[in-house]
Order: sequence, then C-alpha cells, then structure tokens
Amino acid sequence: MNVLIVEDEKSLAQEIADFLTKEHYLVEISSTGMDASEKIAVNLYDFILLDLGLPDYNGLDLLREAKNSNHEAAFIIITARGEVDDRVKGLDLGADDYLAKPFSLVELNARMTAIARRKFGLKTNHINFGAFTLDPLSRKVTCGELEVDITRKQFDLLHYLLLNKNRALTRMQLYEHIWGNLLGDEYDSNFIDVHIKNLRKKLAEYAPVDWLETVRGVGYRANIN
Amino acid sequence: MKLRYKLAWYNLLTKLLFVLVFLLVMPFLLERVNLIQTDNELIGKREQVMSLIGEFGVEGLMDGSLNQAFGSYNILKQEYISLEPALSDSLWNYIEVTQRMVGDEIIDYRVLNYSFMVDGETYLLEIGTSLDRIYQTERNIRTITLILLALFVIISFAADTTLARILTLPLDFITRKLKETRSPALYDKTPLSSSTTDFVYLDQTLTELMQKIDELFTREREITANISHELLTPVSVLQSRLENLISNGDLNEQDAEKVSESLRTLHRLKGIINSLLLIARVENHQFLKNESFPLNALIREVYEEIEPIARDKGLELNLRLDCDRHLTNANRSLMFTLLFNILNNAVKFSGNPAAGPVEIHCFREEETFKVRISDHGPGITEGQADELFQRFKKRSSPEGHGLGLAIAKSIADFHDISIRVNSKPGQGTTFLLEFSAEA
Repeated sequence: MNVLIVEDEKSLAQEIADFLTKEHYLVEISSTGMDASEKIAVNLYDFILLDLGLPDYNGLDLLREAKNSNHEAAFIIITARGEVDDRVKGLDLGADDYLAKPFSLVELNARMTAIARRKFGLKTNHINFGAFTLDPLSRKVTCGELEVDITRKQFDLLHYLLLNKNRALTRMQLYEHIWGNLLGDEYDSNFIDVHIKNLRKKLAEYAPVDWLETVRGVGYRANIN
Repeated sequence: MKLRYKLAWYNLLTKLLFVLVFLLVMPFLLERVNLIQTDNELIGKREQVMSLIGEFGVEGLMDGSLNQAFGSYNILKQEYISLEPALSDSLWNYIEVTQRMVGDEIIDYRVLNYSFMVDGETYLLEIGTSLDRIYQTERNIRTITLILLALFVIISFAADTTLARILTLPLDFITRKLKETRSPALYDKTPLSSSTTDFVYLDQTLTELMQKIDELFTREREITANISHELLTPVSVLQSRLENLISNGDLNEQDAEKVSESLRTLHRLKGIINSLLLIARVENHQFLKNESFPLNALIREVYEEIEPIARDKGLELNLRLDCDRHLTNANRSLMFTLLFNILNNAVKFSGNPAAGPVEIHCFREEETFKVRISDHGPGITEGQADELFQRFKKRSSPEGHGLGLAIAKSIADFHDISIRVNSKPGQGTTFLLEFSAEA
C-alpha cells in the first residue's frame, strides 16, 4: 500500500518511513505543504500521515484540499501541537484517526491495520493465534467452541499484541495504548504485568499460552507463526 | 437573596413599622384632638348661653322660678344643660369628665362648669356632651384609617416591587449572561441598553474583562501549543528511532535492554511534558465541559481499572455507592483521570494489606454530594498534605514524578469540585471530593 508522510521534521519522517517500509508499505515523504499538495494532486495514496504543524501550510487546509482530490486515502493526523480543538476539527474534516506526538510506531501500525481492515476490507476480521480466535468486531475470544471470559483491558492488550505480532512491545507501549496519555504520570509498569499475568491465567485454562512471551528487559511479544 | 427581593422586603418592613407606630399613637392623638374639639364646642355653647342670659336675663331661661334649678337633656341624652343657683360664692370655670346617671344608664359626659354672677346672685352653668358620640367617632376614624393604611401598604408594596423589578432588569440581564458563559470566549457581548448608567458601566467593564481574559487565554494557548510542539517533536524523533532499533531485532540482548532503558527514560520525560501540558490546558479551559453522565458508573469503571492491581498486592478495595450524582457540563475523560489518579495513589501508597482496605465511598452530607477515597497507608504529616497537590511534590515513590495529584487538583478546580486531603502518619490518608450544588 502507498503511504505519504507529510512531516517537516525530516529525521522523524525517516524513522516512520523505515518502520513502514519494513511493514511492506511503499512510502514517500513530503517535508513541505506545497510539495505534499502537488504529490497528492498527482498520485494516489492509501494512507496519508499528516503533520498539522507545517511551516508553509496550515495542516487542516491541506487536509480539506486533499480530501477533495484524493477521496480514497485514509488520513491520519499526527501533531505535536496537541490542541484539544485540533482533534475535533481534524476528525470533522474527515480524518480517519488522530495521533498525538510523540506516538509509538507500533501504535501507528495498529491504527493503520485497523483502518485498512475497516476501510479496504483487506483481511478477514478474525485473528487466529495458537488454539484461539479473536474477533475484533464482537470483541470476543474463543477457543474452539468455547468463549473465553476476559475483561475489556485484557482484550485490548491481547488485540494490540496480536496486531503487532512477533514484535516485542515494551510495557510503556502497551500502557500507552490502553490508557493513552491523559492519565499524566500515573504510569506504572506493574499495571501491564498484572494484566498480562491475569490474561495468561485465563487463557491457560483453555489451551497453552507459550506463544505469549516475556522478552527480558523489554516487555512482551505474541509469537505466532 | 436577589437585590430586588431585598429591596421589597426592606420597603415592606419599614412601611409596616411606620404603620405600627402610627396605630400605637393614633388613639392618644385622636382623643386629644377630640377633647379639644369638644371643649371648644362647649365653650362656644357657653358663650351662646351667656349671650341669651344677657338678652333675656336668668329668669328667662329658668322659667321665672329663680330658686329652682333648671336642667334639660336632649332626647337622646347626648347633651344636657343645667343652670342653678350656686351654693358657694367661689367662681368656677373648668371642664371635666364625669359620669352621670341618666335613667338607668351611666354615661360619660364631658362637662363644662361655669359660674357667674347676675344681680348679686351666683349661678352655676353646666353644659355636658356625651362622650359616647366622641368614642363612636373615634372608632369610625380608626376603622377608616386602618383600611386606608392597609390599602396604602398593599398598593405601595406592589408599586415598589414592580419598580424594583424594572430597575434591576439590567442586572438580571448581566447575571444571565454570566451564568450562560462557559468560557470567556463565549461571553455574550450584546451591550446592555439601560438608562441606569451604573449598570451600563458594569456591563461594559465585564465585557472588556471577558475580552481581556479571552485574549490572555488565546495567547497562553498559542504559547502552550508552541512549547508543546518544540518539546515533543524531538522526543518524538528519539522515540521512533529507539523503537526502530528494538524492533529491528538485530541487537543483542544487552543492547536491547539498554535501548529499552533509554525508552523508559524518554517515556518519563514525555510523561512530565504531557502532564504539565495537561495541567496548562485544563487551567486554560481548553477542554470542553459538555458531557453529562452518572458518576457512579464512572467510579465503577475506575474501580474496575484498578481492582486487579490492588488484588495483585493482596489489597482489599471496597466500593460503597450510597447515592449517585448525575454530572452535567463535565468532561468525562478528565473526570476519569481525576478519580483514577486519586484511587491509584491510594492503592500505590497502601503498604501493608493487613492494615486495612482502600475504600471509595459516595455519600450525601448536608445536601452535598461527596466522594471519599481513604487508605490505611503510612500517611503523611499535615505540612506534606498541604503540598500534596503542588507540582513535583510527591510522597516517596519509585515511580511517577508527583504530577498525578497536581493534575487531579486542576481537573477538580475546572469542575468546581473541592478536593481536600486528611492524613495522619501511621493511620492513612483520606481524600474528600465535594461536588458543587446541583444546578
């Protein structure tokens, strides 16, 4: 899939591009609004990652303009201005999602995957892992015919690990995905450990959970072949 | 109490007081006036009688029988006159109130006694007027006065109230504008049209003040956004780079751990920046307060978030929802953060699970809705408690940087919730949230 990254901070754009390239996306970078505007007019993209704080362009104007010429693209706003209004305005103008900088690359990946599923119907909704199946729509986890009774937080954690399968996720990445940054400093690595522990215990009642690995010094990984 | 009600009450009370004084004094005044009037009449009658005597002589009046007394009542016994030879030579001229037996009833009379000499003989003239008539007049006057006074009080009260209402209409206008204002930017700038210059001045001043605050807010908002951008962009670059390093998977375990450690440090920096920005934005009223929801449901959500952590520590977490409060004009995610931070704090600082549970208790006291979150942790001194909500003042903790409660405080202020902490070393800490009166 084609991705355009509109971001004036070149090193950040490069890191995102490196990451997405590894995820098999075709990536282009624009560091100015003018350049982005031209690219959007000429090319078709599946995803446009849009920084609102461009030096030469109001990001929201660019979004409005791009929406008119490139209907199919999914827009994800990435901004460090973090104004409360920006989110609302961006989503009102038809952006598909909004990420406040600094965001985690795995969070971006999860959001893009979710949008791709919703918008382009690329994959089946069900995710199979080990002896289990996860259905993101009904928010249910099943093992064979049996439904596994897990809490909302446990489901979110599991879903996130599966969206980023075979990749080690740090506790902060997991924490941020679940609780966002509205809680301020109340980050507690213990939170994730407790939830993972309980999740393992629940799932182990049905089938082995050795695919849910602890990565020493880093965090957790869903290792699925 | 509203100004116009105060004015109305004041008017009514002063008028009633005036009426009361008047009613107390009136009988005395009436009596005095009536007596003087009666006395003048009696004196006038005496002059008439004396002039008759001058014309016709005493005999003319006394039917010629000089030695007999002459007396006459009018039919209804309201007045009488008597003339008789006096037994003594002293001269009298006075007016008194006496009781006379007429027929079989006793009647109060105002009587003028006057003695005079004609042809060497002394005569005593008495002219009396029944006081019954005077009393009757007094009663009539009193009734009429009472009715008039009552009418006066009612009409003037109605007039005063109406006038006060009309006069304070501009004040209502201003109050309504203030009440409707959710943020200075949304302040209704329609100027007030009124002939009362004080109110016009007040309105103008308020509008200017709101504009000034709005400008300050806007400027601060821009500054916050710029600081946010300048600080968070480099953090963003670093975070992405470190994450890429880890997820590339070509690091050995030692290096991966180091990078992971750097990410944690970076995360802390990010947490501090985001917390400070969150406080700034809350204080700057950048969040909307347009949601309405029952508080119990939200508390249950927070409880469910933290309960697993507490259980993992072996700590009991009690939920007592005695009553509910439906919040309006609130921000749900901020309220969640507020409750989460306080409850998390209580759980985090509960040392020994055997000391006692952490409790969340919703209750109503003197019409005020309150939420109490108490723990049996080590507690803190009063001095520390005062500083608890200040930025970067924290209870000794390996994690966090002491902004969680500062955030809670700013959110509480934003929602007009008073937040207090009570703590005793060795006994535990209690947070008390008091919600403002229901709108």
